[in-house]
Amino acid sequence: MRLTLSNAPIQATRKAILRLSHALRPVRTKLVDLRLPPGRCRAIREHRIWGPMIHGLSSAQRFLAARPLVLIMSSALAMRVYRLDLLGFNSDEAVYAGQAAAIANDPVLSQFFPIFRAHPLLFQFLLALVFQDGVDPVLARTTAAAVGLANVLLVYQLGRELYGRRAGLLAALFLSLMPYHVVVTRQVLLDGPMTLCATLTLLLTARFAATHHPAWLYAAGAGMGLTFLAKETGVVLLGAIYAFLALSPEIRLRLRDLGLSIVPMIAVIAPFPLSLALAGGASAGRHYLVWQLFRRPNHEWSFYATTVPSAIGPLLILAALLGIWVLRREHSWKEKLLLLWIAVPTLFFQIWPVKGYQYLLLIAPAIAILAARSLARLISAPDLRLLRGRVSRRQMGALAAGLVAITLWIPSWQSTYPSNSGRFLAGSGGVPGGREAGVWVADNTPEGSTLMTIGPSMANILQFYGHRWAYGLSVSPNPLHRNPSYDPVPNPDFSIRSGAIQYLVWDAFSAERSPFFSQKLLSYVRRYHGRALHYEFITVPGASGETTLKPVIVIYAVRP
Amino acid sequence: MIRHPRLTLPLWAAAIGLGLFGPPQQGTLPPDSDSQPKTLIEHVIVLMQENHSFDNYFGTYPGADGIPPGTCMPIDPFDPVSRTCVAPFHLGEGEVQPDDPDHSSTTFRLQFNRGRMDGFVYALNLKNQDGRLAMAYYDDRDLPYYWNLADEYVLFDRFFSSAGGGSFTNHVYWVAAAPGPGERDLPPEGLGDLPTIFDRLQERGISWKFYVQNYDPTITYRTRAEAIGPKASQAIWVPLLNYARYLDDPQLFARIVDLGEYFKDLQNETLPAVAYIVPSGPSEHPPSSVQSGQRFVRTVINELMRSDAWYSSAFILTYDDWGGWYDHVPPPQVDAYGYGFRVPALLVSPYARPGHIDSTVLDFTSILKFIEENWGLESLAVRDARAKSFVTAFDFSQPPREPRVVPWERAGKEPRQEPRRGVIYGAYGAALVLPAVLIGWARFGAGRRGRVAGSPVAASRR
Repeated sequence: MRLTLSNAPIQATRKAILRLSHALRPVRTKLVDLRLPPGRCRAIREHRIWGPMIHGLSSAQRFLAARPLVLIMSSALAMRVYRLDLLGFNSDEAVYAGQAAAIANDPVLSQFFPIFRAHPLLFQFLLALVFQDGVDPVLARTTAAAVGLANVLLVYQLGRELYGRRAGLLAALFLSLMPYHVVVTRQVLLDGPMTLCATLTLLLTARFAATHHPAWLYAAGAGMGLTFLAKETGVVLLGAIYAFLALSPEIRLRLRDLGLSIVPMIAVIAPFPLSLALAGGASAGRHYLVWQLFRRPNHEWSFYATTVPSAIGPLLILAALLGIWVLRREHSWKEKLLLLWIAVPTLFFQIWPVKGYQYLLLIAPAIAILAARSLARLISAPDLRLLRGRVSRRQMGALAAGLVAITLWIPSWQSTYPSNSGRFLAGSGGVPGGREAGVWVADNTPEGSTLMTIGPSMANILQFYGHRWAYGLSVSPNPLHRNPSYDPVPNPDFSIRSGAIQYLVWDAFSAERSPFFSQKLLSYVRRYHGRALHYEFITVPGASGETTLKPVIVIYAVRP
Repeated sequence: MIRHPRLTLPLWAAAIGLGLFGPPQQGTLPPDSDSQPKTLIEHVIVLMQENHSFDNYFGTYPGADGIPPGTCMPIDPFDPVSRTCVAPFHLGEGEVQPDDPDHSSTTFRLQFNRGRMDGFVYALNLKNQDGRLAMAYYDDRDLPYYWNLADEYVLFDRFFSSAGGGSFTNHVYWVAAAPGPGERDLPPEGLGDLPTIFDRLQERGISWKFYVQNYDPTITYRTRAEAIGPKASQAIWVPLLNYARYLDDPQLFARIVDLGEYFKDLQNETLPAVAYIVPSGPSEHPPSSVQSGQRFVRTVINELMRSDAWYSSAFILTYDDWGGWYDHVPPPQVDAYGYGFRVPALLVSPYARPGHIDSTVLDFTSILKFIEENWGLESLAVRDARAKSFVTAFDFSQPPREPRVVPWERAGKEPRQEPRRGVIYGAYGAALVLPAVLIGWARFGAGRRGRVAGSPVAASRR
């Protein structure tokens, strides 16, 4: 039942709310309502956004009106924070959180983690703001989760502006449950913030395509700059934007506007080189660029094909593809934009020799929107009866959307449990036992002790939690073959014999990737009277079905 | 696992006061109710290196009594006309090559020159060596670890060698507070009945061991003449190998062990109350590598820090004689044998005063004095009875310091280049503002005015 407001205070409140709605959410129905006359457009918008309130509905009823999005955001939140701290940081998280701690001038971690390493510092800068009262790994991951939530909200907005509210909601639902997005945005990685900025850029580009007004193109340029600033590899999407503009003759574009859009992009990117030059990190940036250009491939060419589809969701991809095929006659610039947003990064990272699990997260929002478009269309199409009239097409669509959501939710939920395989894929989550080993090191080794690990990944974790210098045995003494952020141990024998290194740390995850260096490290353990001081275990299924403990990290004391 | 005794410190002190603790367990030694230490130090570890004077190692250490400004050593102190002299210089800079300066008792007397301390160059020239070498010194470029140890713990700048002579006499003083029957060299019949600190410890059932790097138990005073090469020095550096009773009594002989036992004892928590250590190769005896010696010392100290024994230990590093190098402080002549010139000495202990320079007049017998006072032992000779202990270098009112591995790199000479964090905050903050401004402008300004009727969106909706 609706109540009509009649008294003056409520009218004043209504006006205030309208002004607020105008300021905060001015474009939410723009693309949908462009065909309507201005007066009608405004009325519909007000009704959609604030209708319940201006017609006097209670707060409970307002909540019910917004409940789909609230539910989706709640599920997104739950998926990203549930057991968030079950495992400690992995290597990349340790590095980024360490950099943030260094920016925040943490007296301990700034000794171990230089501010300038490989990437721009937008996310680390945000974390540094969070770390002003002290470094807190949980707070860092919560910040990453908040970035993931913001991304879900942006995907809702983009989906709604492109294909309507139902598609927006479905896209948000899919992204909120997508294992790929859930896993990455539960970690302190740069790919989550990069994807958020890229989604913002996509939204701004879509608005330019819809309105043809260059202001949106300039804003998209600034969004592109932010994407770069979150992680420099995001710049690959510039190719997607230019390909879209080049392949869309229906989009009226002046070259002058295109040129001008580069200005805000460069202005936003400028802090990266500026801070490198002015804050004392120029050489770090140069060395890293050289190394990235010439480093060897770290995965097989089929890496993405074997890891990413299952992480995005096979049914989700299928829904997106089916929609593209079935609705091919309705194709417009929107699908072109989304497809290019997927194709360009995929092609680039497939060719680029260095591959990482999380690198393709950029494409996840676009896939979610395309899949949502397909299923929303199925649901909102004329209600045909299928299967001899027993099921309506709308029911079929809802069922399909539910099925997709469930197939996304199950692996996402499983990902919140620690791995029991003894294997670890970089970027796929925390390292079992890593934090605990680091804490043990901090509590049980003299300050100033030096450790040697199989590789630099475990070294980063131990440095973060253990506050001791750790060196990776596998770090090459050849500067062309190593990440310039890492220092090699040119002569491990000598370093141990002369007392410069006092502890060796073996871990199953690095050993699985580098069996040679694992054996090498264990040979030093044998040669230098290695004494196992501490173990970290994971629970694994035994041969006869019962669970058993498997050591994944062993810390040895060594001496000449 | 390293434990943290801070909380138990009052209990320790109370227990010591009440005499509740028994002696450290060691083999079959009979327990003695009076053998508990009088201080919080339960383990004294002494490592003796070779042949450097204080000024040679710490002559330029800030705050220590080092090389006086304007020092210039006359080439010939007996020539009143000649003013030619040699100023101290950093070894390695210039034409003077590293060598092993003569450090016999004759050279000592010439260099000492009845307290005038002006014969350092002259004495070596007389020995047909390049006398300028005596004026060479090392600094933190060469000795970063030792200088870092001095920064963290206690450096003694009035620590004299016990005798104005070479290794043998000073090593004997180190264990017996006396020069020994041979006085200047090892007598063929050994050291006879000269009592040592280990006799006192043994009598009281207090554990002790003498750790020898690369120990060869067959090299003793009886076989020394047959030993070839550097190992022949073992009998000099380990005075106990010159006693018939230490060689013939299996219980005593078993306490002279290889250095590997030191690491095992630390690991097994069986470090004795008193441990003497001597090196073999990395002794820093000129012209051998001082870096090699530092690494050796670092290993020994690091292992101590990794053990439970750390929290009740005192580690003393010193050098057996001045090695022929210049030192500017005339040693007090307390008897016919010495003191000799100053030698470097450091105390590393959880109770050591941080960064303290202790100027108490000490010599090797001061180590014996501390052991005797700590465990209530009888003096061995006049020297140790009259010597001062280095107990002033401790601060037992403070809880024990946590172990901290002393770095190899010398820090603090050049201020660390701090990144300009303000630039990062300002630049990245501005980078966040600009897109927000542009989006606002697009929405509230140009974007609203610029809507295009019949846009592709509209077209696609039709």
